[in-house]
Amino acid sequence: MVMSPGARKLALTAHVTASVGWLGAVTAFLALALVGLNSRNPGHLRGAYLAMELTGWYVIVPFAFASLVTGLVQSLGSTWGLFRHYWVLAKLVLTVKATFLLLLHMQVVNHVAGAAARTNLSASDLSGMRIQLVADAGAAVVVLVTTTALSIYKPRGITRYGWRVQNEQRVDRSDGRTAQKIASIAPTRA
Amino acid sequence: MSDSTPPTTGASSDRASAPAAPRWVKVSGIGALAVVILFLVLHLSGAMGPGMHGGH
Repeated sequence: MVMSPGARKLALTAHVTASVGWLGAVTAFLALALVGLNSRNPGHLRGAYLAMELTGWYVIVPFAFASLVTGLVQSLGSTWGLFRHYWVLAKLVLTVKATFLLLLHMQVVNHVAGAAARTNLSASDLSGMRIQLVADAGAAVVVLVTTTALSIYKPRGITRYGWRVQNEQRVDRSDGRTAQKIASIAPTRA
Repeated sequence: MSDSTPPTTGASSDRASAPAAPRWVKVSGIGALAVVILFLVLHLSGAMGPGMHGGH
């Protein structure tokens, strides 16, 4: 179903807001993860990991789902479709993977934030997890910048499914034109 | 996602066979596959994963 221009603009506004909000929140998360990894101040460490847990659950996860849902609405409600163009498909795969990995790694955030709330973390405590949080946030920023670039550049390339749909639409259009031509000729012959 | 209209593959020869995947899709696919293989190798070798998580 193709949306009206007004509804499409509204869906696009929601999608851009959610996606850019997701990228911004993940960048803030990366800054906190770096502070958590490098700071020697116990207050900073505790504050950073508690803020990461709150930012993750109350900002990043909702933005991730909002971006995914509004992206689905935007593609299914426009002539771009979801599986017709490689760039739309690539965005879908990246967003689904990023959301899945985000939920998985929020367990790590919970663990580190819980430890930071209970005790004063030293520089070596949970070092593996703390490095992983920096790596995950850095990878998420790269993925989200990639999806943003895909939306802007829209690299060419149509999938087999998209090609089939386009051909069917072309046949339908030419059939419609032929029917119109016959209908316009018929009365003059009668 | 965009508000603009998608391009169409206009040539009539397109009806004969589906167009091949563009180069950027092939290069990105190979890159993604390499990342997945690297991730699996690191996990299986123990350089990443649960063993690392304990890290004291």
